[in-house]
Amino acid sequence: MQQPEVGHDQLDMLFNARGVAIIGASSVPGKPGNQIILFALEMDYQGAIYPVNPSATTISGLKCYKNIGEVPGLVDLVVVVLPAAACVDAAKEIVARKKEKGDVAGVVVVSAGFSEHGADGRQREQELREILVANGIRLVGPNCQGIMDTYSGVNTTFDVGRYPRGGLSFIAQSGAFSVSYLEWAHPLGLVGLNKYVSMGNMADVNAIELLRYLGKDERTRVIALYLEGIGNARELIEAATEVSKRKPIVAFKAGKTELGSQAAQTHTGSIAGSDAIYDGAFRQAGVIRAATVAEFYDTCRAFGKLPRPRGNRIYILTVVGGPGTICLDELSRAKQIRMAQIAETTKENLRATLAPTATVDRPRGYTDMTGAVNEELHQEVLKIVLSDPNVDGLIYLTTPPAFLDERKLAENLVAAYQSFPEEQRKPVLAVLGYGYAVAEGRKILEANGLPTLEYPDVAAKVMANLVTYSQYQARVSK
Amino acid sequence: MKYEDIIASCYSNGYGFIPEPDAYKICAEFAIPHPRFSFVRTKKEGLHAAEEIGYPVVIKIVSPEVIHKSEVGGVILDLRTPQELDEGFDRLLKNVREKAGGVPISGILVQQSMSAGVEVAVGGADNPQFGPVVMFGSGGILIEVFKDVSFRLAPLDQEEARRQLEETMAYEILKGVRGRPACDLEAVCQVIVNTGRLLTEIPQLAEIDFNPVQAFPDGCFVLDARIKLKN
Repeated sequence: MQQPEVGHDQLDMLFNARGVAIIGASSVPGKPGNQIILFALEMDYQGAIYPVNPSATTISGLKCYKNIGEVPGLVDLVVVVLPAAACVDAAKEIVARKKEKGDVAGVVVVSAGFSEHGADGRQREQELREILVANGIRLVGPNCQGIMDTYSGVNTTFDVGRYPRGGLSFIAQSGAFSVSYLEWAHPLGLVGLNKYVSMGNMADVNAIELLRYLGKDERTRVIALYLEGIGNARELIEAATEVSKRKPIVAFKAGKTELGSQAAQTHTGSIAGSDAIYDGAFRQAGVIRAATVAEFYDTCRAFGKLPRPRGNRIYILTVVGGPGTICLDELSRAKQIRMAQIAETTKENLRATLAPTATVDRPRGYTDMTGAVNEELHQEVLKIVLSDPNVDGLIYLTTPPAFLDERKLAENLVAAYQSFPEEQRKPVLAVLGYGYAVAEGRKILEANGLPTLEYPDVAAKVMANLVTYSQYQARVSK
Repeated sequence: MKYEDIIASCYSNGYGFIPEPDAYKICAEFAIPHPRFSFVRTKKEGLHAAEEIGYPVVIKIVSPEVIHKSEVGGVILDLRTPQELDEGFDRLLKNVREKAGGVPISGILVQQSMSAGVEVAVGGADNPQFGPVVMFGSGGILIEVFKDVSFRLAPLDQEEARRQLEETMAYEILKGVRGRPACDLEAVCQVIVNTGRLLTEIPQLAEIDFNPVQAFPDGCFVLDARIKLKN
C-alpha cells in the first residue's frame, strides 16, 4: 500500500523549499498576507522569500514582485493569500511560470471560500486542484494555514511564528485547533515541533499521504493527528498501520456522526456509528486515540520528548497526598498498567533517605515523600527509584513549596533524569500542580526533555498511553 | 446449495434479507456454529423434524417480509412436547396473521432449543468509509441500551478478535462471575473472525446481525441470523 516515491519527494520539496513566493503579500500590518511574511522572516530560513503584489515595491524590507512570473530565483513553494475568486487565475499564472522555469513543486492556498462554502466553492476548488495537479504541482489546502518546518525554516502560517524544535509533527484538519495547541504550549516550551501542516479542505495533499510521509521522516518521533473526517477511512487506517510500526500516532477525532438511517434495519447498522468504528480501527492500527483535548495535548508532547517505557510497571513518587491519590486512582484503572513492585533494597534506600514522616511504598508502587525533602534530596530519591530494574516509568507529583527554589528543584530533577545514559532512561512525567505559577522551573524541565503536566489524572492517562504504544509495538515487531 | 447459489436465488426472488434457514447454511460453510434446525412447510413436517432434532425446540416464522420476527409474535420458545409444538404452530401463524396481516409465509423454522448460556452479539457491515467491519457486544436488548460494542476492520485474526472482545463489558461476564464457569472465549473469537470472513469473501453482504449468540463453557452458537443483502 505504499504511495509511489514521487509523492514523498514532492512533499519533501515543499518542506525544504529553496524559495517561497507569497502571492497576495501585504504591507498592511495585521493582514494575513503581511503576517505570513513576518513569520517567514522570523525563521532560520536559508532560502529566499519573494512577496508578490502588483501594488507594492517592498514589504517588510523585501523586494516585492508584480507577478509570480517575474520572480527571479527558484520558487519551490507558492503561498496564495487572495480572495477566493482570484485563486484560480493565480493558479494559472503559477502553472505558466512552472512551464517556463520548471520550478514550483507545491502551492499552499490559504484563502477560504471553497468546498466548505457551498456549490460555487466546490466548483472553484475542483478547478483549482485540476489546474495545479495536472501540471505536477501539489496543492495544500485551500482554507488552511499551510505548512511549517522548524528545521528547514519554511513557514507559510499566519498564526505561528518561530517555534522550538523537537520530535513532534502535527497534521490537522483544523487550523484553529492545531494553532491553539501550539500557542498554548509555546511560552513554556511544552512542545518541540518538527513539522506542522494545517491541511484545510485536503483537496489534494491529505492526511493519508502526510501520515506516510511523516512515517518516513527521520526527525519525526511522534505524529499528532487532528481528524474530523476523511472519505477513505480504510486507507487512512492502512497507512496508520504501516506507520505505527515505526513511530506513534496520537489522534484526536472529532465529529461523531451516525450512519444513515438506511442502515438502521439491523442492530449492527443502527449502532455502527462511524465514531465507534474509528475507535476500534485506531486500536487495531496501533493509533493512540485521546479521549479529551487535555489528554491529546499531553500525550503528544510526552511521546515527543520521552523515551518509551520498556514495560508496564509504573511508580508514583509524590510530595503531596491529594494529587498523588488522584493519579493512583486513575493509573490503577488502566488495565495495561501494573504498579511497580520495587526491590527490598530500594525500599530500604528510600527509608534511609527520606524523613520518618514519609510513607514508603504503601500502597505498593506509591511513595509519599511528604514536604520534608529539599531540592538535592529530590535528585537522590528520583535516582533511587529510577535505578530499580522493576520500574519502567515514573510519575512524580508536587506542588513546589514556597521554601524550595523552583529552579533548583528543576535542575535537580533534570540531574537525576540525565544521570542515566540516554539508552537507559525511563519516561518520567513531572506533575507540577501550580501550572503556570512555576513557569521558570517548568521551562528548565521542558528544555531538558522532561515534560511537565498540570493534572494528576491526565498524567496517569498519558503514562497509560505510552505503555499501550510500547505494548503494541512489541506485538507487531514479533 | 453453495452460498453463491443461495445469494443468486435471493436476488432473483427480490429478497432484501437472506431467509434464516439459508443464512444458517451460509454460516455452516464459514464454520459458524448454529443449533440444529429444519425448515418445514407443514405441521406434519414440523412434528417429524422436532423428533429428529429432539425436544425442546424453538419455532420461528420465515417470511421475506418479516424482519423483526418477535415483534409480530413470530418466535415461540421452549416447546417441550409434540402437543406443545402442535399448538405452537397454530399460535405462531395466528400471531403473524393478526400482527403482520397477509404477508407471504415461506414456512417455519424448527430449531433445537439451547440451554441458557451467556448472550452476546456478533455483527458486521460493509461500511462506506471503512469497508468490512465486525462488531462484538452484549447480546439481546443490552446492546441497544448500553451500546456495549467494539469494532474491528475485517479481516482480522483470532488474537485481534480477542482484544476486541476484551474491550467490552460482555467480556467480564464471559470470563465467569460469581463462581460461574468461563465461556469458551476462543469459540466466541472464532465466530467474530468468521463473520469477518463472510463480509470480506462475499461482497454482496451489506450487514450481518447475529443476535443472540450463546456462549457456553464448551462452544458458541448463533441462535438468530439476519443477513442483509446489498441492493
